[in-house]
Amino acid sequence: MSQLGSLALLVALLLAVYSIGANLYGARRQRADFLASARHALWAMCALITLAVIALWSGLLSSDFSLEYVAGYSSTTLPTPYKFAALWGGQQGSLLFWTWLLSIFTSIAVFQNRRRNPEIAPYAAAVLALVAVFFLGMLNFVTRPFDTLSLVPGEGTDLNPLLQNYWMAIHPPSLYTGYVSSTVPFAFGAAALITGKLDDSWIRSTRRWAIFSWFFLTLGNMFGARWAYEVLGWGGYWAWDPVENAAFMPWLVMTAYLHSVMIQERKDMLKVWNLALIGLAFALTIFGTFITRSGVISSVHSFTQSGLGPYFLSFLILVVVAYSGLLIFRSGELRSPAEFESYLSREAAFLFNNLVLVGIAFAVFWGTIFPVLSEAVRGVKITVGPPFFNQVNGPLALALIFLMGVGPLIAWRRTTPRNLIQSFAAPASLGLAGGLLAFAFHIRAWYVLAALSVAAFVMGTIIVEFRRGVSARRHMIGEAPATALVNLVAKNNRRYGGYIIHIGVVFAFVGIVGSAFFKTEVKKTVNVGQSFAVGPYRLQYLGVLPIDTPHLESATANLVVTRDGHEVAQMAPAKLFYKRQQQPATKVAIRSTPFADLYVVLAGLDDSGRQATFEVFLTPLVFWLWGGGLLMVLGTVVVMWPNVRERAAIAVALRAAADSPMVGEPAPGGD
Amino acid sequence: MKRRLFYAALLVGLALVFSFALGSDLAVRAAERPTLAAISQGLTCQCGCGLTVANCNHPTCSFSVPVREQIESMIGQGKSGAQIIAFYRQKYGEKILSAPTTEGFNIVAWVMPFLVVVLGGAVIIYTAKRWRSLPAAGGTSAESSPESDSPQFDAELKDRLAHEIREHT
Repeated sequence: MSQLGSLALLVALLLAVYSIGANLYGARRQRADFLASARHALWAMCALITLAVIALWSGLLSSDFSLEYVAGYSSTTLPTPYKFAALWGGQQGSLLFWTWLLSIFTSIAVFQNRRRNPEIAPYAAAVLALVAVFFLGMLNFVTRPFDTLSLVPGEGTDLNPLLQNYWMAIHPPSLYTGYVSSTVPFAFGAAALITGKLDDSWIRSTRRWAIFSWFFLTLGNMFGARWAYEVLGWGGYWAWDPVENAAFMPWLVMTAYLHSVMIQERKDMLKVWNLALIGLAFALTIFGTFITRSGVISSVHSFTQSGLGPYFLSFLILVVVAYSGLLIFRSGELRSPAEFESYLSREAAFLFNNLVLVGIAFAVFWGTIFPVLSEAVRGVKITVGPPFFNQVNGPLALALIFLMGVGPLIAWRRTTPRNLIQSFAAPASLGLAGGLLAFAFHIRAWYVLAALSVAAFVMGTIIVEFRRGVSARRHMIGEAPATALVNLVAKNNRRYGGYIIHIGVVFAFVGIVGSAFFKTEVKKTVNVGQSFAVGPYRLQYLGVLPIDTPHLESATANLVVTRDGHEVAQMAPAKLFYKRQQQPATKVAIRSTPFADLYVVLAGLDDSGRQATFEVFLTPLVFWLWGGGLLMVLGTVVVMWPNVRERAAIAVALRAAADSPMVGEPAPGGD
Repeated sequence: MKRRLFYAALLVGLALVFSFALGSDLAVRAAERPTLAAISQGLTCQCGCGLTVANCNHPTCSFSVPVREQIESMIGQGKSGAQIIAFYRQKYGEKILSAPTTEGFNIVAWVMPFLVVVLGGAVIIYTAKRWRSLPAAGGTSAESSPESDSPQFDAELKDRLAHEIREHT
């Protein structure tokens, strides 16, 4: 199998190289036969990489320890689902997985565009193939997943215990899907720059790819946070670790991009900015990979230092320089007749929203690289951790949430102050009421008061928007309120799906504020039968249950939780010991309610099990972070739901663009 | 126009001062609040995990576990957050702090993100000013735009609904 996998990767590389040449030659000479051949080469490349993935999975599932990768990241006792997950648990496997996703997305994009976008699609395919060449080059010559051991061990080292969790099984694939799918809009943006076909057809062709990428980046970040919350046992979910930052930055930039393309679609403005944003988003995914694999910045998530850093850095520099060069080269053609009438307009709100999003992305980037910079300038290694990121991003996040509320309240082009006051009155009152309510509940920290007021204000703006829409339908079409609401969302899914995402963001923001400012922590050592109080709860320790399996030893504590004398839950935090890696771990117990999470860690246990130490966190509102995440996912599904009207509009716009290669009138845009 | 620019710059400046004041306020409160969570969040674990002493997830970590116990004992002795953090800084050097200090070159770390946002804001204002001086491409003046004169949402919604009704009939 290992030889088959190696051979498949080598042939896949050759096909990717061929596809670049065939696409470029076919596009320049207008040779349909070469373009078809280039497409077939990319599909064959995908099939071969799939074969390599199957070969590695087969090695993992059959515990073939002759493969260095399998011996390093699996064992005979590793549960089967984690043998699958071990594909992305190590350096070579995760790169193979990345390349596999890239080949799948490339194949789909090439298939979608086999008869569309004849001018830019071949160049986009060539860019996608070029990215594939880099990754396949790494897999063939630098970090090979099918290297074999001359001395075959009887047992494998096993997968890192921290990765043996179901969230871990789905977090990296989601994140990688988000990362890799951003390559498609990037490739089309680059193709637009190469060909000089700079209207918004590249945006319209890849809008769903951009949303798809954002969707999976959101999921990946949320799953990662949930994984940290359940596995790391410190009661938090986000540590501003460099690798977490690397996943967060593309999400921020993609969010900015998804907002700013609306201005281009609607007003034919910001062409340079949109191309720059999609280039930046892609570059940040490569930067994230560079961080994880170079060892330049220490991180809890890093793969072992591998010497891959220089390759990724070179590729990153190549991408940034080539793309920036193209942008500068085309800058004259990218100027468009801009219409900007007032700062009191939705365009202005979007511009400032972009500024803050990119500002936060920069703050995160800056904090991530500052230790390296400090060492270079002062020779002193320093740490940039959570206090820095929280303090710098706190006010920016507040401004962002505020702008999120302002955007829908004001019209395109301009709003008169009178209309602005009319539109602001109800949401501003709700915001004030939210602040006063929090004050009445003895909240005195002014950042929290401001945050809760702004959150209530934004909710107010969204409610006003839905109410207006429903009301208009009721009066003009005579629909019942519930039908009007459903039809409003169904017929304008892009706009109202966006609002559902905004509600999710507000919920998540409230969850973050609540959990960051009001978390309480109690650490107690108790004997069997004794109890202790945490907020309104009383926890009684009933004893411990030891379990020994070939894979791990565990000691599970049994706790009964009461409130006002009534039992509300039984909780079972555990200490685990993974035998192969000789590594201890914790398994936390969480009781989640919309008001607060009770989070129990078994921090210590004496040999007899009679005395145990518990670390307990009572974290208010964290439930809403996950609820907000779910709403963001739901909103994105609504946005992506096929809409016949929108498809027709896209088809018309693409036909118009194909008929006239010159930049024309602004195409009919969505909201 | 100059006056507007001045006001815009003033607003951005105020936002900057506000942001910094907010950040410093949070920083001061975190340092002064003598709780294990706040202080251990201010120190970086030296076991190699790269996390803070509060967040280190190694159950038997040879650094974070004893340091957390030590911090609790110092809090019990009545020491302030700032005193405890200073103690560890003296013992292990600057690398133990989980955020840059506000001294010397480290100031760049704090100022740069806000500077970028302010400069970005200035670029937006400058570009918008240039755009506003260009003749409107559509030839419709703002004053005659139905969107700007009537309540904007009603006009938009009516447009959309009228479109839908046309589609259904």
